[in-house]
Amino acid sequence: MSTKEERERIELLQGTLDLLILRTLLLGPAHGHAIAKAIEFKSDDVLQVEQGSLYPALHRLIKRRWISVEEGTSENNRRAKFYKLTPQGRRQLTLETRKWDKLAGAIARILRPARQEDES
Amino acid sequence: MMRRKHMLNELDEDIRDHIAQETQDNIDRGMSPEEARYAAVRKFGNVTHIKEETRDVWSLIWLEQLLEDIRFGLRLLRKNPGFTATAILTLALGIGANAAVFSVVYAVLLRPLPYKDPSGLIVLHETTPRVGDVSVSFQNFIDWRAASHTFAQMTAVQSVDFNLAGVTQPENISGDAVSPNFLSMIGVRPILGRDFDASEEKAGTAPVLLLSYSLWQSHLGGDPNAVGKTITLDGRSFTIVGVLPPNYRSLDTTDVMLPIGVWATNNSDAIKERGDRGDMVVIGRLAPGVAFGQARAEMEGIAARLAKEYPESNDQFSVKLQPIRQAFVGDMKTAILVLFGAVLFVLLIACANVANLFLVRGASRTKEIALRIAFGASRGRIIRQMLTESLILACFGGVVGVVLALGGIRGMAQLIPADMLSGATVNLNSAVLLFVAGVVALAAFIFGLAPALHSTKPDVQSELKEGGRTSSGGVAQNRLRGALAVAEISLALILLIGAGLMMKSLYRLLEVDPGFRPDRVLTMEMDLRAQQYSKDPAVLNFWQQLIDRVSALPGVQSAAVGTAIPLTDNHGRSDVTIEGMALPTPGNYPHPDVHIVSPGYITTLGIPLLRGRTFTDQDNETAPLAGMINAMVARRFFPNEDPIGKRFMFGHPSGGDPLKWYTIVGVVSDTRLYGLANPARLEVYLPFRQDPRNHMALVVKSGADPASLTSAVREAVQSIDKDQPVFAISTMEQLVSNSVATRRMTLVLLGLFSGLALVLGAVGIYGVISYSVAQRTHEIGIRMALGAPRGDVFRLVVGEGLKLAGVGIAIGIAAALGLARLMSSLLYGISATDFETFIGVAVLLALVALLACYVPARRAMRVDPTVALRYE
Repeated sequence: MSTKEERERIELLQGTLDLLILRTLLLGPAHGHAIAKAIEFKSDDVLQVEQGSLYPALHRLIKRRWISVEEGTSENNRRAKFYKLTPQGRRQLTLETRKWDKLAGAIARILRPARQEDES
Repeated sequence: MMRRKHMLNELDEDIRDHIAQETQDNIDRGMSPEEARYAAVRKFGNVTHIKEETRDVWSLIWLEQLLEDIRFGLRLLRKNPGFTATAILTLALGIGANAAVFSVVYAVLLRPLPYKDPSGLIVLHETTPRVGDVSVSFQNFIDWRAASHTFAQMTAVQSVDFNLAGVTQPENISGDAVSPNFLSMIGVRPILGRDFDASEEKAGTAPVLLLSYSLWQSHLGGDPNAVGKTITLDGRSFTIVGVLPPNYRSLDTTDVMLPIGVWATNNSDAIKERGDRGDMVVIGRLAPGVAFGQARAEMEGIAARLAKEYPESNDQFSVKLQPIRQAFVGDMKTAILVLFGAVLFVLLIACANVANLFLVRGASRTKEIALRIAFGASRGRIIRQMLTESLILACFGGVVGVVLALGGIRGMAQLIPADMLSGATVNLNSAVLLFVAGVVALAAFIFGLAPALHSTKPDVQSELKEGGRTSSGGVAQNRLRGALAVAEISLALILLIGAGLMMKSLYRLLEVDPGFRPDRVLTMEMDLRAQQYSKDPAVLNFWQQLIDRVSALPGVQSAAVGTAIPLTDNHGRSDVTIEGMALPTPGNYPHPDVHIVSPGYITTLGIPLLRGRTFTDQDNETAPLAGMINAMVARRFFPNEDPIGKRFMFGHPSGGDPLKWYTIVGVVSDTRLYGLANPARLEVYLPFRQDPRNHMALVVKSGADPASLTSAVREAVQSIDKDQPVFAISTMEQLVSNSVATRRMTLVLLGLFSGLALVLGAVGIYGVISYSVAQRTHEIGIRMALGAPRGDVFRLVVGEGLKLAGVGIAIGIAAALGLARLMSSLLYGISATDFETFIGVAVLLALVALLACYVPARRAMRVDPTVALRYE
């Protein structure tokens, strides 16, 4: 494994991962492992998140006060930390989602003619 | 803060839980427990790395890492005391030299002058092609000030001197008579009393003055009630109206300051005569928004107009403007900048050497670093850690360097004559310390970065696999080390060439025949200013008695007086007309230096008499006017005839005064009045009895050390007039030495720096070659086992070293060809690309490089093939 490649991937995912976490938490508080599972499951395993990279992202969101932490019990009755969306986080999610849609739309518009060219 | 601590404390637990859950999920999916755990860990990623990154989120992390790195760095440095001491000492030499030279750079070139908005202050001189820059005549100043629009204010500053009955013995003090608005223009306020009043500009002003802070302290004991008291100068009473601040600085010594009106009262001739250029500069302040060039253009226009209007006094005279900083710096600037460049080179060489040390050590650390990368440390993190290490080292180097600089500054202050600093104090101040801090950071970066980048290259990972003793990556490393050695050699060569050029210049300069013999001659000045000397007989009496009494002193061979001692600042020039010559335009008359001397003058100074006779006691008040000329006057005006018996007069024949002809009785050698490097000029000599002067210098030729006569001569003066001060006491040899002081200082320091560079460069090349020999022991062993003669091995090693030296010398010469030109104003009698110097230095450096390779080459020759081969 090359350290260089690995870092690049994390950086590539950083903003996106934050967005995905916020989106996941919109459905309700969840603990770390559950968040990872949810992201994998919902994206049909397309997004293979290195689970560990969740933690720097969670801490980053806590620091920005977009999510908060509370103690609770997991489904198998173990003590666990539950991460919960804050009102600020909710606003941020709306904002980021809108931005993302715009970006995705713009990129799609650029890519589509290119693909047609390829096909012709 | 709290959140951070809380979050991080539980991070380990969170991660453990996470992995446990994933493991459980995997088991539920049917994996064996072992498999499940492995898959979970794998899916999670590099735990160390993730923890580090999570901590990074809480940002204060860099501080913790820094502390950690510092602790680690200190531990490493303690473990290698030899390495540490060598590196610190090398850096300390480089940094110390830089601090010392920078303290001069700061004092002379950078420290703000103690004036309000000094950048707007301009010093104005008159200038004429026959002489260069000269003083301003008062009449011209008045017209300049009236006509100029580019200057908001313009003030006259006239040098004055007085005799003062001192505390222990009579002294001569100096000062300035200034326009009343001078102090307010430069933004200086007296700390006691008042500034001058506009009414004090005109002749007839009551005698008032400001005291300098130091004179106030030494003569009035800092009396807070000094204002209103009087002080007696030249036997006249002056009222003290105030005291100047202690940090007041001017272009020369200021003991007292008086309004120009007081000076004008006693110098009516200088005020009236436009052609009288006494000892005055003009200082002006540019009007807001006016550029220097605009002011210069305007002033040159005004001067040209005055030259047309008053050709008799102003033909060929223009004006020269100079920002005040430049007037303060004078001819020191080039020397200082050359030296500053030189110490920066020394620092670079020191850095290259330390970088080399780091590389050698880095080679033995590749495994450790590879291991840390494998355990998840990022490359940036390791580079940061290594740079911290360099910074620690550089800081120690900086501290030791500052201690060295303290000594260095003291030494430099002694090398630079005080009058050349014009009041600048060279010391280790906060600006210098700030500079040192900058140099430390820069140095750490220079010598730390290359080795850090190098030893963390991603391919060091192969180190782990290879077990690498024979060291892969060695080729790149050797190339880097070689490049460092080449850089050191070329920098050292440039410095050596600079020193070589200076040495040769100074040698050439001291070889110049000054036209007089400076050995065993004592000189001192006296200015007869007391009331009793207002009549000529008293003046002549004093000088004659002085000559007689000093000549009679034991150990004295001869004594004489003269007005213009070579290599001092006392020179007077005047237009002359030679009888029968075609009359030129007013600005093109011969303009020789005028010496007024007693009969023994040329004998005492050892100025050869070439023709005719010298003055005798018979050339007195009643005898026909006599004069001597120097060889240059004879050559220029009497090329094909004997000048003896010919006549000249002062001024222009159209002047209207009755013509006073001087008959030439002798021709003497040219002297270098204005410094050894400045060509001789036209000179005429007059007997002192026919043109008595109050301000003269005594010259005494002694049989032994002239300085030992000082007190005896002083006593002789006091025995004639106990209130008469003597000043500017010096030997002629000191004057010669002072006249080359800037060059000598440059040579001494450049020599020191280039010597340092040579040693460091030699150590550098030695390090590279011996390391390369150590690395190649195996290869050398094989060569020798295969029958290579020891001589071949020797040549192999030395050849490698000489190749580096050759490249370094070639680069150095190319660079020196360009750089040496920058110092050409410091050179004398040779060109900046002097062939001999370049070749000599190149050969010297090649020899030193050879010597540096010799030791490792001998070691290589003694390699025992069996031992070397068994190693593997």
